[in-house]
Parts: sequence; structure tokens; C-alpha cells
Amino acid sequence: MTKPYRDNLPISADGFMDQFMRLKRGSVSRRHFLGVTGLGLATAVFGRFPGAGQRAYAAGDLGTQMSIATWPNYHDPATFENFKAATGVAVEVNVFGSNEEMLAKMQAGATGWSLFVPTNYTISTYSQLGLIDELDLSQVPNFDPATQSARFTSEGKVDGKTYALPKNWGTTGFCVNTAKLKTPMQSWKDFFEVAQTEADGRAMVHDYQLTTIGSALVSLGFSFNSIKPEELAKAEELLIKVKPHLFAINSDYQPSMRSTDAWLTMCWTNDGAQLNRDMPELAYILGKDGGEIWTDFYAIPKSAPNKPAGYALLNYLMDPQNAVKEHIANGAPTTDSRVIALLPAEITSNKIVYPDEASLTPLEFGAAVTLTDPGRAELMARFKSA
Amino acid sequence: MTSASTHNIEFRSVSKTYGSVTAVSDISINVPKGAFMALLGPSGCGKTTCLRMIGGFEQPTSGDVLIDGRMMNGVPAYRRPVNMVFQQYALFPHFNVEENVSYGLQQIRPKLANAEIARRAGEALEMVRLGGFGKRRIHEMSGGQQQRVALARAIVNRPSVLLLDEPLAALDKKLRSAMQFELQTLQRELGITFVLVTHDQEEALSMSDFVCVMNAGTIRQIGRPEEIYDHPGEFFVADFVGKTNRIEGTLEPGGKVVRMADGGALAIVARPGVEPGPVVVALRPEAIRLEHRPARMGEITGVITHRVFLGSTAEYSVAAPGIGDVLVTADHKTMTESDLIEPGATVTLAFDPAAAHVFRGTANQVTTR
Amino acid sequence: MELTPKAKKTMVTAALIGPAAIWLFVFMVLPFFAILVFSVGERAPAGGYQPAFTFDQFANLGARAAAFVNTLTLAPIGAIACLLIAYPLAYYLAVKVDPRRRLLLVSLVVVPFWTSMLVRTYSWMYLLGARGIPHVLELIGIENVRLINTPGAVLLGIVYGYLPLMILPIFVSLEKLDRRLLEASADLGAKPISTFFNITLPLSLPGVMTGVALVTILLLGEYLIPQLLGGGKVFFIGNALVDLFLQSRNWPLGSAIAVTLVIVVVAVLLISMRIAWRFAGTRQIDLV
Repeated sequence: MTKPYRDNLPISADGFMDQFMRLKRGSVSRRHFLGVTGLGLATAVFGRFPGAGQRAYAAGDLGTQMSIATWPNYHDPATFENFKAATGVAVEVNVFGSNEEMLAKMQAGATGWSLFVPTNYTISTYSQLGLIDELDLSQVPNFDPATQSARFTSEGKVDGKTYALPKNWGTTGFCVNTAKLKTPMQSWKDFFEVAQTEADGRAMVHDYQLTTIGSALVSLGFSFNSIKPEELAKAEELLIKVKPHLFAINSDYQPSMRSTDAWLTMCWTNDGAQLNRDMPELAYILGKDGGEIWTDFYAIPKSAPNKPAGYALLNYLMDPQNAVKEHIANGAPTTDSRVIALLPAEITSNKIVYPDEASLTPLEFGAAVTLTDPGRAELMARFKSA
Repeated sequence: MTSASTHNIEFRSVSKTYGSVTAVSDISINVPKGAFMALLGPSGCGKTTCLRMIGGFEQPTSGDVLIDGRMMNGVPAYRRPVNMVFQQYALFPHFNVEENVSYGLQQIRPKLANAEIARRAGEALEMVRLGGFGKRRIHEMSGGQQQRVALARAIVNRPSVLLLDEPLAALDKKLRSAMQFELQTLQRELGITFVLVTHDQEEALSMSDFVCVMNAGTIRQIGRPEEIYDHPGEFFVADFVGKTNRIEGTLEPGGKVVRMADGGALAIVARPGVEPGPVVVALRPEAIRLEHRPARMGEITGVITHRVFLGSTAEYSVAAPGIGDVLVTADHKTMTESDLIEPGATVTLAFDPAAAHVFRGTANQVTTR
Repeated sequence: MELTPKAKKTMVTAALIGPAAIWLFVFMVLPFFAILVFSVGERAPAGGYQPAFTFDQFANLGARAAAFVNTLTLAPIGAIACLLIAYPLAYYLAVKVDPRRRLLLVSLVVVPFWTSMLVRTYSWMYLLGARGIPHVLELIGIENVRLINTPGAVLLGIVYGYLPLMILPIFVSLEKLDRRLLEASADLGAKPISTFFNITLPLSLPGVMTGVALVTILLLGEYLIPQLLGGGKVFFIGNALVDLFLQSRNWPLGSAIAVTLVIVVVAVLLISMRIAWRFAGTRQIDLV
């Protein structure tokens, strides 16, 4: 997603309106609304007074402020308020649209972040570029490798050293408005066909090379991560053929799906869960022919201005009691068995959040090479400018 | 229509009001064909409004304006057979001199041939002695040249009437006299009616055949320049046109003596019809002679306070009891060296009683603005 | 010590232009220099910039030809659309309206600037979206009309967003137009329509060109409106830059495009000023 004008907004404008609509519908508390939109952040920063808090999560001077780079609608805002109450550190939240964008900011120089949330396939690049530090796990006593599912957490390690700890995993499928679209859909092949026919002018793809190119590749029977020129050429041909039929190329699809301007979109687990919770006719489907499975991690930038606070927040988030609230809020599945035990049954039984093992089998984790491959970047640019 | 042949412009009971403000009040004028008429008056007297009603930029609130016997009420400016030289010229800055001058010709329908337009524009430029300046840009021309471009632009369509709105106000004194002369010559050559608006009485007197003196939206007097100057119809005209001394008093029965507040008497000849009672006497500075002799009956004496040497003439300021300061102009040719009177001297103010103009009223009633 | 008058004058000049000069140097000249340096560099293997001296990036501008074509089409079309709507309104405000109400009406033109462009564009997203005008159309029986994410929506957003920038300079140039020139034209026999095309229009061209240049230049860098009201399906130079800096991370190519864009902007400015000068017959052009 390319929305740099939002870089330093605590929430995207879409997010704001979306939260505002939810507030009006009464599905979220006012407190949640203020928190998510950053209005609560302002209150939090200005409402702070020195000496407050018990500093229960770390030793040393944490200062009074830190900032985190993460994704929209991704945290329970109460988490940061509670963290501030516990430590006296106010957290400024920066939301991003893509891993590429996060990486670009890090490459450009100091970001001011003391913690950020990269996706699995980017971590090796960050460590190669020397942009992140190996984590000092002694400062994160709440993390327990024994309760983590190695399937999701292995990419946090590079050459045996831990650079990142998992936040949650998820999938990339598609979301269908079943009230508008009657064709049954099971695969990415179906997705691209319906997008050109029944959902003509109503389908959205991400403004994100990994998932848009990856899903097109999958629908043609290739690997989600392919960088083979001949396979990419086929994917390009498909995407350019589909483009005139699209409603939009935009990773911020929740508002359009909610307003029913769009009827079909590529979609991430957590958004799928949120959309389905509020509008049951919005179904979330995983491609039988493949797609993406992913894990988002926490990592600390080498340039972090307040590492003690970064570690303190990381440790706070690794506490299952705190993490469980995050999962309830954002709707993404956990990697930590201690958290699963605490989650209510209606979440653990939600097939969007915790799909059957069989439906996960065809999915692939994104590969590091896709992040830096110029061929995929240029393909995306050609697709958008076509 | 009787006026069609002899009257070029005719105002019939024309009034113009803007909201509650009356600019022109019930004016009737006839301007004969080929005349050079000046509308003279202080600013705000309504003279420009009259001009603009002829031009078609304003419509009368009531009354009729006729040009060449044709009713002009409601006729827009672009359909009137008149052209105007605007104050500060209003030349089109994005056109060169020739384009400015030929603008009026370009508007003629059916369209004139380009060669014809060029020929006529060239003629007009020759007429104002600007041949060869056609390609110049307006901002490259001097003030006097711009004024002549404006003139050429206005006469190129051979209008029935040429309107001139303070055309010389922006020029320096020397250039102004030269242009006054040129305008008169041009008017004679073209033989069309000129209507000039000015607040400068010298300009009005020197150029026009007729002067129409206006004040407060009304016409105070119309006449030939000499008539206006020598026989002003009221004190305002006497005061506005040329310099004048104002002496207040009471006209005694018989019409030969004005008794002043201090008891002094002034010998005058009142026109028939001026009733005995409070009057204002207007006496031109040049009508008075300063003499070294005792005052006779009906004359006044005074002490010279200032003398201003003006070349061919000299102006004296004389303090006269019961009157105040009296202005006297003495012509040098009629004076010898010894006649130059020094300030401090006591003199008698002698004048021909017939040269004094006696008007009914008091200072409160005759406003000079 | 007494300062000489000359030294005093120099100091006053420095104090007047100093802050702006420092600001421009630090935030305009230095970054532009950085962009120039980047534009002759190479993309690092993991994205970003690595030092080099090559004009490959400029040779590769063709890879974003579509973005240039789209932008160089949209910007003039948007500016002309703005002009066609703005001119009559500016004419009305400057010439026809009662002078006592003029200030109020002109202020109303500026009122939309009191809220952020982002908020206003989002309002349009909701107005044009399924819950807005299409919903109203549904009530009267016209179903499934899509307005959002169409070229029309983008044009509407552009005209809506930039109209005041076009109205104001035209209004200013029309308002200070000497009314006696119009009277002189009528006096010389020109009908109102002829006066308009011969006098009013040419003499308001400096305002028109200022408006056109202002809107065109801003449109050359426009990114938000096509993204939000066009659904991101149309790719402008602004989008190309965002993509190259934040997604593909090919900073040298992005810098080369930025440098080219600056050159295009300067060219647009020069051309429009030249046209305005020629028609207005003067070099005193007001960029308002």
C-alpha cells in the first residue's frame, strides 16, 4: 500500500472513518475509538505525569516516550494505555501500508522507532543490511520459545541468532460479499475470473507486489514467490488483462467492502475476521490453489532512540495476559500456546482465524527474495501504470 | 422634429440620481452643430455625468437625451454616433498605437477592408501629427503623445460629436496651451461638435464657443466666453470664472449706491430688476485702479499690504475698512516705474460703477464652493 | 560605533530576506542537490541508493513513460476544466456583483481551504461511494451506478480542489482592470461580446496564466486525488515517485524522475509567463 501522507498519522483517514462508523454503530467503545484514532494517544501523552507507574516490566530508565511502527487496526489501544500506566512510557503509534515502505524508511535513516512489526520474509534483509540488532532475550523474560509454534517463528532467527519475536501469524485470502456475488469461489483462479465477470468493476487487489503478483502467479499454477521471468510475464499478462475490470488497486479495502462499493477483495486474516464479524455476508476464503501464510514479528531497530522502552514494551506484549487482548482486538491468530489457552472459544473455533490444517497446506510463506527483486517491483509499476 | 437640423445635442429636462444623491437636476441644453461647448464647474457639479449621458455610459433617470434629433434613451454607448477622449486617455495597453487608433474601424460592420482601415488610421495619426508612430507601444509614448493617440482614436470613426473629459488635465502647463490650440484647430478642420468637460475656467474660456457653467447639478449660465466673463448672471459664475472681489452691503433705492456695514458707500450701477436690499457686489481685480488721491463719494480707500510681481502684471492686496482684503491687478504697460506702489501706501480704489456686478442675496445665500 | 548608511542598508536587506533565504536553502536547495546526486547513482541490490556516476537512470525514464503521459494529460485537462468553470465565476465576482457583497462572496470561495484537503477528498469518497449519490439514485430506481474510482470522479475532485486557486488570480486581474478601457471599447463601437474578447480577456490573461500555471504545476505533483477518487488504478508521476521511493526503493530512478519533473514545472512556468507577457503587453506580471 502506498500512502506516505499517512506516515505519521496514528491512524489512516480511512481507519478514522471506519472507526467512526463503528463507533456510531456501537460496536466499539468510545475509549477504543479514541485509542485507535490517536485522539486517545494525545490524551495519553498529555495526561502523563512524572513518577507514575511501577516500572514492573523492566529495570533501568525507560524515559517517558517511545514510538512503534506497525499496521492499521492491529493493536488493542488499551494495551498502550495499560503499558503507560505500568511504566510511565507513552507510546506513539505509526501505521504503515507495506513492508517495503517500512524498509524504505529504515534505509533512509533514523526513524525514531524503538519497536516495529516486520513480516517474516523481510527479517533476513533487515539483518543483512544491519538495520536491526540481535535481541537480548534476557530482557524479554516473558518470551518462552517452548510455547511457540516453530512453523511460524523460525524466520525470526538468522544464522541461529534471534532478531525478532512473533506477534501473530495469518493468511492472505480473499473476501467476498456473498449477498452480491453468487458464483462459488474457492481459488485464486476463481478470484481473477469473477473479477472480470460477475464482479466487473467491483473487485480490489492490493497495492502490494507480494500479494498481488503472488496471487496472480498462484492462479496460473506457479509459486507465490516466483521470480522466474517467464512466469512473471504470464502473471503480468493476467494482471493487465484484469486491470480494466478492477474497482481499485488499494490495500485499504475495509471501507470499500463495508460501503459495498467493492464486492470482492484480496484480504488478510485479521481484516477478514473484522469484516465478517460486523457484516456476516462478507466471507473470507483461502485459495485451494495456494496463497500466502505469514507471521508478523516484533523487532528493535539498530537506530532505536529508546531501546530500554522498546524491550520493556516487547516484554509486556510477550506476557500472555496482555497478548490475549491483542488477539481478541485484531482478529489474527497467535503463535503462542499459552495465549491460545486464554482465548475465548468463539475465537479459537472461528475458521477464519484458525482454519483447518488442510486449508493451510497449499499456502506458502513469502520469500525474502521477493522483497528486493527489481523484476517484481518493475512488474508492479507496469501493472499500475498500464 | 425641429431640432434635427440645427441641434446636435439636446437635453430635455434631464435628471440623474444615484439612490438619494442627485447628480444632475432638470437640465435642458441645446448644442448647435459644429459648436465647441465647454461644461465648466467645480468637481461634483454634474458636468461629467452630463458628458457620460451623451456618451451612453449613463442613462438619465428622467428626461430625454437626443443626438442629431434621435432619441438616445436606452441606446448603448456602442450604438451612438459619438466618441470620447477619456480622462487619462484609457488607451488599450496591449495594443500598439496603430491598433488603438484602428480599433473603432475594426468594429464597423460590414467589415472594412484592411487596407481601408490602415489608410484611415494613418490619416487620423497624421492629423494629430503622429505619422510614423503606429508601431510604437503605448507605454513608450510620452503623456502628450498619448493624448494625441487618444484624440486620433476618437476621431477616426468621424463621430457626430466628440466628447472630451478633462483631456488636458494630465499635461504640464506649456504642453497644455499647445494642445488647447491644436484642439481648436482640429475642431475647425473636422467641423464636428466638441463637448469639453473641464474644471479649469481658463481652458473653457480660451477654447470654446460656448461655456456652460454648472453647479450642484444645475446649469448656472450658458453663453459665449466673453459674456460669461463680463456679464456673469450670478455671483457664483462671477466667482468661479476668473478672479473676483466680493463686497457685501445693502442696495439703496435708485440702484446707484451700495451701503456697506461700516456705513461707507460704493457707487455702482445695478441692473434693472435688482431690488433694494441685501446684495453682493462682484468686482474684477482688473476693473480697479489704484490712485494716489483722496477718495471721492462712492469710492473706497485702503492700505496696500502685499504686492506680487507677475511679469506683465502685478497683483496688489489692499486692506479696505469695512470690506477686508481687496485684490487688484494692474497692467504694467499702463504704468510707469513711479506708478509701482509700495506696500504701506494708502490708495484710493477707483473703478467704473458699471463694471461692478450687483447680485441679490447675502454671503450665506451665495455659495462659491 | 556608527554604521555607515550603506552598511545599515545591507543589514536591513539581510534581515528582510535572510530568514526566507535560509529556509529555502536548507529545505529546497540542499534537498534538491541531494536528489541531483541520487539521480546519477545506482540502485543498491537491496534497494535504496549506492554512489555512482551514470546517466542510466535518465536513459531509463521511458520505464515510467506512462506516468509522464498520464500526468501531462491530466494536468492540462484539469487546469482547463478549472479555468472553464472559474472564469465566468471570477468575472461575475469582479465585474457584475454588487461591490458591497463582493468581499463576502470572495471569502466564500476561500472557505473550503479552512478544512484539510484530505478530509474534503474523503467526503467526496463517501458522497460518490455506494452510500452516497448512488444510494439516492437507487431510491429513484437507478441501480448499481458506480461513480467512485472513475476518471470522472478524479476530474471532479481536481476541479473541486483547485477551483479557488484558479478563481482568485483571475478575479484579481479582472478586478483591477480599468473600467474606462471597457467604456472606451464600447465608445468605439464594440459590442459587449467584442469588448470581452478584445479587451477584457487579453488583459485578464496574466491572471488566467497565473491560475493555469499554479493549478498545472500542483497537478503535475498531484497524488492524493487520483489515489483516493481514482482507486489507484491510474498512475501519475506522483504515484511513480511514491512507488520508487517507498515500494520498489529505486531511489536513483525516482530522483531522475523528480529532476525531470522539476524541469517540466520550470518549462510550464516560463511558457505561461511568456504567453501572458505577450498578450498583456507588459512584463509586469503578477503571480498573485
